[in-house]
Formats: sequence, structure tokens, C-alpha cells
Amino acid sequence: MSAPEAASKPTPFSKEGQPPAKGEVTILVRNLVKRFPGVVALDHVKFDLRKGEVHALLGENGAGKTTFVKILYGVYVPDEGEIYVDGKRVTFTSPLDAIRHGISLVSQIPQIIGSLTIAENIILGLEKYGMMVKIRKVENFIREQSERIGIKIDPNTEVWKLSYTQKQLVELLRAVLLGAHVIMLDEAVTFLPIREKRKFYRFMRDFAKQGGSVILITHKIPEAMEAADRITVLRRGKYVGTVNAKEATLDLIRKMMFGARSSEITYKRLPSSKPDDKVVLEVKDLWVMGDYGAFAVKGVKLQVRAGEVLGIAGVAGNGQLELIQAIVGLRKVRKGKILIRTNGDLKDMTNKGVGHIRKLGVGYIPDEPLKYGVSVENNIEENLAMLPLIAKTVINWRKMRALAKKIIEEYKVVTPSSKTPVKLLSGGNIMKVLVSRELTVAKKMLVAYNPTRALDEVTAINVRKIIKDKVIKDRIAVIMASEDLDEIFQVSDTIAVMNSGRIVGVFPAEKADRDKIEKLMVM
Amino acid sequence: MVWVTNIIMAVAPAFAAYYLTAVGHGVFEKSGVLNLAIDGVFTLGVAIAYTVALLAGTAYAGSVVALIIAAAFGAFIAYMVTKLPISHGAIGLSLMFVGYGLSALVAMPIRSTTGKVVSYPLSWVFDIGLLIFAIVLGVIMHYILVNTKLGAAIRAAGENPHAASALGVDVLKTRIIAGLLGYALIGLGASFFFLAYSPAPYSEGMGMGNGWISFAISLAAGRHPLLTIASAAVFAGLLSNKFVLQGILGLSIHITNMIPYAAALAAMVIFMVTPLKRKLAPPRSLGKIYFKEERTV
Repeated sequence: MSAPEAASKPTPFSKEGQPPAKGEVTILVRNLVKRFPGVVALDHVKFDLRKGEVHALLGENGAGKTTFVKILYGVYVPDEGEIYVDGKRVTFTSPLDAIRHGISLVSQIPQIIGSLTIAENIILGLEKYGMMVKIRKVENFIREQSERIGIKIDPNTEVWKLSYTQKQLVELLRAVLLGAHVIMLDEAVTFLPIREKRKFYRFMRDFAKQGGSVILITHKIPEAMEAADRITVLRRGKYVGTVNAKEATLDLIRKMMFGARSSEITYKRLPSSKPDDKVVLEVKDLWVMGDYGAFAVKGVKLQVRAGEVLGIAGVAGNGQLELIQAIVGLRKVRKGKILIRTNGDLKDMTNKGVGHIRKLGVGYIPDEPLKYGVSVENNIEENLAMLPLIAKTVINWRKMRALAKKIIEEYKVVTPSSKTPVKLLSGGNIMKVLVSRELTVAKKMLVAYNPTRALDEVTAINVRKIIKDKVIKDRIAVIMASEDLDEIFQVSDTIAVMNSGRIVGVFPAEKADRDKIEKLMVM
Repeated sequence: MVWVTNIIMAVAPAFAAYYLTAVGHGVFEKSGVLNLAIDGVFTLGVAIAYTVALLAGTAYAGSVVALIIAAAFGAFIAYMVTKLPISHGAIGLSLMFVGYGLSALVAMPIRSTTGKVVSYPLSWVFDIGLLIFAIVLGVIMHYILVNTKLGAAIRAAGENPHAASALGVDVLKTRIIAGLLGYALIGLGASFFFLAYSPAPYSEGMGMGNGWISFAISLAAGRHPLLTIASAAVFAGLLSNKFVLQGILGLSIHITNMIPYAAALAAMVIFMVTPLKRKLAPPRSLGKIYFKEERTV
């Protein structure tokens, strides 16, 4: 690939080669290099963050964004390069060092501890409190502060009881309470419900106005352009360029991020697949409990036909997760029926168990895929062999290797080899491994929750295309819940809106009205 | 009233020894370090308590020195498994044998010159004092674990050291503190085992196996310092009446020796099938190698 277009574009704020001026640049990074076994994650990256700015860091999956912020947060120690904070050269060997310099990170996967309460999680980083301080005493402080910035929480709640969104809010709150002057958000607001997200962007603005700085990692380019002052793009571990957000165009950024592949990006609806009359999945008056002893799914009724994608739109936490889990047999059905077509007839599969249901030819892409979708300690071949539908009692490793190779090529998985433990891959690449494996076993039906969460645009669109192709070609049924309305509109043939455990509207996607659906989601 | 003092005198010393050792074990394991060195250090603690008490002429000196040396072991274990990516099992079991070996080296030279034993006074006032002392220490440990920032840090390091570090916990420091606290209690427990519960002319390997019993007592209570009061009391009662059980019920000594472990197993099963599961579950990262530089997702 030749020099990226943006590299030739003058970058108005670039300060390379000069010592950082005090009061202006708060973080300056030069020649940062980080290698992991078999991968160069960062290759001589430069970066500068000014006081009072929101600086977006963009790049496709595996570009090195997460590694970059983890180095600034002291999680990893760089192999080469220099980091200056407020003009002073620093070496962080632990997050505590970064926190002491006023730098805080909110991760994509909440780095908080489930068995501890919110207050306990937050207090661990607050150095003004000594080791023997009573946690109760800090709870009130946390309650007051959280109300001040508009987050409603009970600090005495154990974190495992919280939803993903709530965990993210706790992390955000924590960053604020640490008194950070640099907050780094690694896809942290990407999945917040729209209202919380707006609230948070507003907060971020105020924070910057008061002299704070934000590094924002997101894969939503329009959001970055709207929220950020400047945008830096990384590609495959290399610095591509920095542009002023006001001068940037969607096209320019996409070209910087993806190079020639940027032409693949489209949000047009994928071709409809003309469903059969044959119903593959029928859910009748389904009642499913949530984690807190109340019904999360309240009398849901739906049908998915062969060759149909049913998209379930809704704000996170409205019962989609529980519905999806009940369908694949991971959650007990209290009342109602789940019927799946087997050998030509709809058969009752209620509470038959996940092993039984999956063997019918059901693929499943779960929420929190790193926890529930793959075994991160194992390599790609082993992650394939785990499914009874792929490998029998005696595993044919040659077959696994061939399948792994095919998947790596088809989905452009960035990995040193098919024998590399999955945890060494970037989040997006792990997702590709999972999606491809599940599509391999989905002979009849695919059940998914946020199937493209954390994937960059090009990869996400490709994953959607592959799912849709499979539907059209193999006539499988897909039921997919997603918090991303763009995704719902792009893939679905039918859109169902879920709110408070009930389906509150079903629309053919071609005629669906986006405003109406958004209203139903939050009513 | 006589029978109350009788029971206290019979059970209190054993209780104090097992209880403190078990609480120490629980505190250390809460920080995520698999504590397999316990029996070795316990055995060494017994030898040190015997030797130092004899040399100094007072039992208190025996307890203090046993506490200090055991604490040093705890800090060392914590340092090794946290700083280096090495297996908790390897370190723990190696140190167990080191403890066994050192115990003979420490105590046998003086044992070969004298049959004298210095111990704590045999009085119910002392035993009640010991009982209260042990329970107060246990309650303090519980308070620290549940109500303080240090306790939250210890639990965080045991659940997920990577996340704990990201939250601002110095995992190494925290585990060293947990090691110091935990093993101080283990050393103290070992010293009471000898100086208060079963003072007798030293013989090689004295006390060996009682570290494991404390391990089981702690597991049976899900490492919870307050619940450990109950499990330690039951076990101390059973063990101090071992001969009674053998006599009355006609149980073989092998069966009575097995009881603590079988009971620990039963207790764990009970926790896991009841809502206690969440409260008393083992720390998620217990025994896992903490390797900072690895790319984690």
C-alpha cells in the first residue's frame, strides 16, 4: 500500500520534533514501539494530546488503539519510545503510576471486580484514602459525586449485579472521582444507550472546557467527528495522520483508516431474502426470569421463517438478553413454549438444554463474547474443536487446521497462526473467529446478540454481509438482538422492537420508520 | 460451672491454635495466593516456639519469634508468586518441605540436651484469655477484610489481579501485606498449638499435619473469619476428644483423623448448592499465575 492519503495532508497541530511546550501539550508520545509474541502492535507511533481537547483515536480492529492507551495507563511497558506528561519524561510500570499523573482509562471490557461493591471498586484507586479507611465513610462521598454528574447509583451494590451499561457508567464515574485530567475512553461509550451517551458527551465537553483532556476511541466515525477536536488514525500499528475534526470528512477518515478497503463501507440495506412460509422458530407466550428475581421476558410471541432475519431492536436491558438465552436453552423458561423445526415439524424444545438445541444446527453468538463465546487461553483450532457439531469425540486436527485456515483467509483474521492463543488477538479479530465458527454450525438457525459489537466498520459490514449471504444461500433463520439500530436496519427483513420485556411492535424492515422505532424503544 | 471451665480448658487451646491458623490461611488465600506451604511453616512454627521458649525461659518469646519468622515466609511466598510468573503449587510445596526440614534443624539440637519444656500456664484464666484473644484477632481480620480499603484490595487481588491493578491496586504490596498478616497468624497458631495445647518434649515432625487440618477448617468455613469460629470449634472439639470418640464409638484412629477433611468436603458441597455460593466461593484467581506483560483481553 502506498503512503496513505492523509499523511501528506498538513496537520495544523502537529508538534513533531519539538520539545513539548508547557501548558499546551499535556501528553506527548514519540516513537512508541510495543511487540507481543509474533505481533508488532505499535510501530513507532507518535501522538500529542493538548489541554482542553477531545482527541479521537481511530483505526480498524487490530490497529493498536487499545495497546496504545494501555501503555499510557501503565498496563504495558513499551519496548521503545518516549512519553512526556506535562513536559516531563515518564515511565509508567503500573496503572497506579498513571493515576498519580492524573491519567485514567475506561476500558471496553469493564475492568472492575464483580464481587466487590461499587464503592469498593472506586476507592481502590483513591490515594487520598489510606489503607485502613472505612469503606462506609466513602460511600456518601461517592453518592454525592455521582449525583453531581448525573449518574444514579447505589455505591453499596455489588458490581456483578450490574448490566454492561451500568458497569461502564461506574468506570466513567471512577475516572472522574480519581480527579484525572486526562481520561481515556476505549470504546467505553460506544454501547451506552443514546440518552446516557449524549449525557456523557456533554460531560466530556465540560470536562475539556475546564482544561481536562480526553482520548476517545470509538469505531463510530461520525461520532468521533462530532465529539472530537482532533482525530488521529492508526493502521496496523502505524501512525497514519492527525487531522482537525472540523476539516475532516467521513471519506477522508475512512480512507485513512482502511485505505482502499474504505469503498466497501455502506449503510444501505442489504438485499432482502424473501422468507419462506416455513416457520423455523416459534416462540409462544414466553416468560423468562432475569437475574434479580423479576420477569425479564413477559409473554413474548414471535416467529422466524427460513430465509428471514428477525432483528430485535431495543435499549440494552429490556429483556433481549434473557430472550436470546432462553431460545438457545441457556435460561430456564418459566411459562410458554419454544418450538424449533426439526425433521419437517415444529417440535417443542422448551427447556431442552443448550446442548440439545445447538445440535439441531443452531449457531449462537453471545453477548460478552470473550467470556461466553470463546476460550481465550486456547488457539483458533481448539476453539473450533470445542463444538460437538464441528469435532467428534476423537478430534481430527488436520481438519481443524484446514477449517481454521479457511476462516483466517475468508474473514481476514489478523493472527500469527491458527495455533496462537486467542487472547493474543485483538478484540475484533476474536469476534471474527467466533462469528465464523458459529456460521459454520448454523445449519438451521443463528441466534445472536450484538454480533458485530466492537468490530470496525468494514469488518462489521462484512460480517453482516456474510450473515445475510448465508441466509439467502442456505435459507437459515436468524434471530438477532442488537443495540445498534444501524445494524438492525441493515440486516433485518423484519424488525421487532422490545421494551420492558415485551415486543411492542413488529415491522417489515422495508417499510419500517426509524423515528417510530426509536420512540417505541424508549417509550 | 465446673463443667464449663472444664470444657474451656479442654478445648480452648486447641481452638485458638486451629482458629488462628485457619484465619491466617483464609486471609492469605483471599489475596489469590494458593497457600500450600501452610503445613511446613506450621511445623516450623512449632519447632521455633519450643526452642525459643526454652532458650528465653518464657513461652511468650516463643510465640513472638514464631510469628515473625512465619510472617517472613508469607511475605516471601507473596513476593515470589506475584513478581515472577511461577506456579503457586511449586513454591508452596517446596516451602512446605523446607519448613519440615528446618523444623528438625531448629529444634533437635536443643532437644538432644534437655527434656525440659517451657509452656503457657495451665489455668482456666489463661485459657479464657487465649480464647478471647483468638476470637478478637479473628474479628479484627474480618473487619479489615470487609470494611477497609486494604480488605477490598486483598479481595480484588484475589478475584482478578489484572483488573485490580487497573483500578489502582498495587497487587504486589497488597499480597505481601496479606502474606505478612496471614502467616503471622499461622505462626501464632502454631506456637499456641505447642505452647498451650500440647506441650511435650519435642519429637521430630511435631505438629506436622495440623497445618492441613487448619487448611480444611478454613475451607469448611469458606475462608470467612467469623464462620471459621464455628468450624474451628467443631474440629477442635472433635480432635481434643479424639480418644473419647475412639473409645466410645469404637472408631479407628484412621477414621477419626479423616473427619476434618470429610467435613470440609461436605461443607464445601453444602456451600456450592446453596445461596452461600456467592459469599463463600473461592477467589476467582486463586492459584493463577499473575503475568503482567501478557496481552490480556
